Amino acid sequence: MITALGRSAKLKASSLLYGMGFFYNVLKETARFFRRSQVGYKVLIMQILFTGYEALAINAVMAIAIGAAINVIGSSLLPQFGQSQLMYTILIIVITRELGPLLTAFVITARSGTAIATELGTMVVNHEIEAYLSVGLNPISYLVVPRFIGVVVSMLVLTVYFNIFGLLGSFIVVQVIKPTPILEYLTSLLSALSVGDVVSGLVKALVFGIVVSVVSTYQGFSVNRASTEIPVAGIRAVGLSFILIIVADIIVTLMQYA
Amino acid sequence: MPESTIDVPAVELRDVVASSGGYEILSAASVAFPAGLFSVVMGAAGSGKSTLLKVAAGLVVADSGATFYQGRDMAHFSHKEELAFRAASGFVFQDAALWANTSILNNVAMPLRVHKPWMGESDVAESVRLLLKQLGYDESMGMRPAELSSGEQKLVSIARAVIHEPAVAFMDDPTSNLDEDAAEKVFELLARLKSRRCTVIVVANNSELAYRFADRLGVIKAGKMAAFGPYDETVGSAEAALMTSLARLRARGSRKKTAQDEAGSEMSQRGDV
Repeated sequence: MITALGRSAKLKASSLLYGMGFFYNVLKETARFFRRSQVGYKVLIMQILFTGYEALAINAVMAIAIGAAINVIGSSLLPQFGQSQLMYTILIIVITRELGPLLTAFVITARSGTAIATELGTMVVNHEIEAYLSVGLNPISYLVVPRFIGVVVSMLVLTVYFNIFGLLGSFIVVQVIKPTPILEYLTSLLSALSVGDVVSGLVKALVFGIVVSVVSTYQGFSVNRASTEIPVAGIRAVGLSFILIIVADIIVTLMQYA
Repeated sequence: MPESTIDVPAVELRDVVASSGGYEILSAASVAFPAGLFSVVMGAAGSGKSTLLKVAAGLVVADSGATFYQGRDMAHFSHKEELAFRAASGFVFQDAALWANTSILNNVAMPLRVHKPWMGESDVAESVRLLLKQLGYDESMGMRPAELSSGEQKLVSIARAVIHEPAVAFMDDPTSNLDEDAAEKVFELLARLKSRRCTVIVVANNSELAYRFADRLGVIKAGKMAAFGPYDETVGSAEAALMTSLARLRARGSRKKTAQDEAGSEMSQRGDV
């Protein structure tokens, strides 16, 4: 029993060290990416199209729905405590600081995280990664870095997009409950918005983007030989990304409020 | 038989141990492939041929032992040396290993784009077209690998490995999945590589390929090099007698032709016998 526990701990520790080494290599190759004239730009553009552009619709629908829900709940609860004026502050804090980056990260994990892990896993099984090595292309710089940059850029853009649509969704509900001129709505909203809210949301988006891309590519490369390992890699990419995103969210929030 | 003028082997494995999935595949395998010669390693399925080739090409990291390219330990290659080695080598995978998400043109052109970036796209496309034509590939270059037969995929894989005219070509069973006509086209390509003194390292079970081209012949058994040396020596060795494909080569006799043999061969070609 103790031996088994020890072996498991040793395996976990070596896996963690390997993961850290992988992350270091990704950062190192990312720094070199823009200095090299190479064929990786096409992969980067494709990744931004898939992760960012193609997720705009689902992100917009989710943001409008969440913005509307917050407004409905807030306008029914806050007056009971005589705090109706807090509506805009709550809206900004919940959408910009918390739900914008968090839900966007979940959408990207579900769409792109699984796609990246399974695509790379399939390439490993089909020896395509070895083929890249054989022609002198570093799989980290050619396959991982474009996905890393693509996911991080998409994450940042989609978070801003979520914030705009979240606040727009709220405005639509405001028109139903208590019709307000758009100028008054925007003025109240902007007066409740601080630079800290925007920075906080973007910092979280950046961290979550790094988490999703590194975890997904790492899980894709963890496939060894069998095609049955590919869906397992996808499931692990999603599960581990969700856990690390929540942990990172708590840490960043604590750093801002502590 | 041409002999290498360079003393340092092109590629050398020393006491290489390699494993996969907990199983030891290579057990202290040592072999030195001479520069400028055509080496063929034969062995039964599961004997470690493909792993030996991948370790030699630096695609699989060995558990222990060392691999040398022109006398330099590949484990200590700098980034620049690694790139120079890749520019000077090409690898044919047993199962083609083409990049599924891109066209045949992009698959074959990749080594040129990486190692000869000064070439224009039209020159690259023309080089690819000519080489594929030589190999008998007559489908569109815009097709994806999944749209081709396994034989055609193999031809494309061979083209990708030699398009940049490497000094060392590693080939894992280059004639597998090919019909006789396609195999003959590959033999023509191998003959050209041999004539320009390219170091060719092939692992295969095709005795015809070994008979036609091998300057050096090796036998791998249970992850160890049981024999490696000049063709006639290896074919005549006791180890060779245990393998059907090598026994077949032994039955064909020595390739050192006498004047009488040559005359006989010419007569038979003319139909005189």
